[in-house]
Amino acid sequence: MAGTRRFIVRQGENATAVEVLADGRIRVGEQGDVFAVTAVGAGEYLVSRAGRTWRVAVAGPPEARWVGCDGASARVDVQPEGRARAPRVRALHGALSAPMPGTIIDVAVVVGQRVRAGDVLLTLEAMKMELPIRAPKDGVVSVVRCAPGELVQPGLPLIEIA
Amino acid sequence: MIKKVLVANRGEIALRVLRACDELGIDTVAVYSDADTAAPHVVAAGQAVRLGPAPPAESYLSADRIIEAARDTGADAVHPGYGFLAENAAFASACQEAGLIFVGPPPQAIAAMGSKISARRVMQRAGVPVVPGETPADQSDAALEAAARRAGFPLLVKASAGGGGKGMRIVRGAAGLAAALSGARHEARAAFGDDTLYVERLVTRPRHVEVQVLADAHGAVVHLFERDCSTQRRHQKVIEESPSPALAPALRARMGEAAVAAARAVGYRNAGTVEFLIEGEGDSARFYFLEMNTRLQVEHPVTEAVTGVDLVQAQLRVAAGEALPWAQEDLCQRGHAIECRVYAEDPSAGYLPQAGRVLCFRPPVRPGVRVDAGVVEGSDVPVHYDPMIAKVIAHAETRAGAIDRMRAALSEFRILGLPTNIAFLIAVIDSPAFRAGTVDTAYLDEDGASLAAPLSVAPAALAAAVAHEDAVPPGTALGREGAALDPWTSLAAWRG
Repeated sequence: MAGTRRFIVRQGENATAVEVLADGRIRVGEQGDVFAVTAVGAGEYLVSRAGRTWRVAVAGPPEARWVGCDGASARVDVQPEGRARAPRVRALHGALSAPMPGTIIDVAVVVGQRVRAGDVLLTLEAMKMELPIRAPKDGVVSVVRCAPGELVQPGLPLIEIA
Repeated sequence: MIKKVLVANRGEIALRVLRACDELGIDTVAVYSDADTAAPHVVAAGQAVRLGPAPPAESYLSADRIIEAARDTGADAVHPGYGFLAENAAFASACQEAGLIFVGPPPQAIAAMGSKISARRVMQRAGVPVVPGETPADQSDAALEAAARRAGFPLLVKASAGGGGKGMRIVRGAAGLAAALSGARHEARAAFGDDTLYVERLVTRPRHVEVQVLADAHGAVVHLFERDCSTQRRHQKVIEESPSPALAPALRARMGEAAVAAARAVGYRNAGTVEFLIEGEGDSARFYFLEMNTRLQVEHPVTEAVTGVDLVQAQLRVAAGEALPWAQEDLCQRGHAIECRVYAEDPSAGYLPQAGRVLCFRPPVRPGVRVDAGVVEGSDVPVHYDPMIAKVIAHAETRAGAIDRMRAALSEFRILGLPTNIAFLIAVIDSPAFRAGTVDTAYLDEDGASLAAPLSVAPAALAAAVAHEDAVPPGTALGREGAALDPWTSLAAWRG
């Protein structure tokens, strides 16, 4: 097997350095614990260290890799060190986007309106639930990019607060 | 007997009904929307008919299309499952008019129980206790405010036509009433096509205990004991169990009798559930009629586990005109059963429902555990429908045994590709309040709010995430720490 290879694994805001050692064992974290990993089926691994074994399921591409263990699961981003992607660009500064696909059922504000943090700006309906979208800060509504009845996709700016 | 059933639903409940039909030798027809062309219920049925585009109003709520599909395929009965058209009296009538057997109660019973105002009146007349509240005939804000003052704060504003927490608001005082009325109206109209509202005194920190009933066309009505559904989040049930840890035997007996009286009072047939709120503890506890669900419930498997009865088969037999095969004294609760609802949602992001592809789906397999799932590996969870993707039911001799079994089952349930509430469910059943059986309907929203931790995994899982990067074939040992691995693993490595 080739020499040591290093990866950065991002889980939400946290980044962990993970190193595949020359003998194939895997170190998690700088100076962290070293695990032996055995593939036992499609996307199934036994991971062991100091007499303890975890059964881990893995699926998905490196940038959207899912891991599950002991009833917990999480999406992580696995990148070779040095080739780490720039963090995903969140919506534009001061802009608010839909957290998931849905239908706008109410736009409670108009351009120029002063809002306070926590005010409901929009109401989105998705998966049979109403989801209020609230102002993250005090400010003035500068742009409204959606109207009631409109189907919206996640990530696109719907409203901007200056 | 019925020859061919059209199942007017999707997901796990459609599969549940299709399986019961298979067991009884009944042919089946599935219906589907454009979001569900390859869904498990479509694959499982003998025939499948497209209803229309993904939005429910154009597919699973399209009564005309469903009846047309039943006619075209020669079905003689329609099973509505739960949700969608299950509690729609007009749909039940339309089925009858089209010469189809509706596997559920008579339309009159659905109508009587579907409106909370008429349900309460019927219950009061039948001597079943009810919570103070009303649906004013005049639905103006002013009339609803007057009704709210009569019931007293805190109170609930609810959709008169609804259930399942849709269109429901808690109002602590007069100041919040106007906003609650407009929000509830909108949700009620969107979910049920009817924005009539009902106001009711809020019984603080009650338990939610419901009684399963089953009635045939020959006048027999039995109850199949209770389910405790107190573990709720914003009025959505999360965990259900039977028996209830809160009922003294005398109270259980009185509630069973009240449920049977309720069913008789509306000329009920088929399976139904009478929901009660329990206030207080032990022998001094009181119960109030909440509502009657005129359909099969999501949580019916816990009753099946403790009574040994197949409720869906019983529904089909009763719908075909057969008599109930058991009398009340033949039925008993044996052991303890718990159900956990697995949702595609992110508990750490305000329980935001999640849509997406299921990359890995491996349900637990062990004695006493049943999994009713609506997805398989590779399924897409569409944005258009309910995010519940599976139910795990654990049955054991004791409550403690059922909890331990559930914990083990949830820990080995693998769902990857979208966030689920499994870690949250484990945190709930591990909580001292759940173990002690003292959870009330406010628990998850108040004391239990901290149980919703962000999705995260142990360092060992990160090692596997990187190992997967190498895309090694199964059975290849990547590291040597032989002593820690069991012999079967080593054997697999040799074979590889």
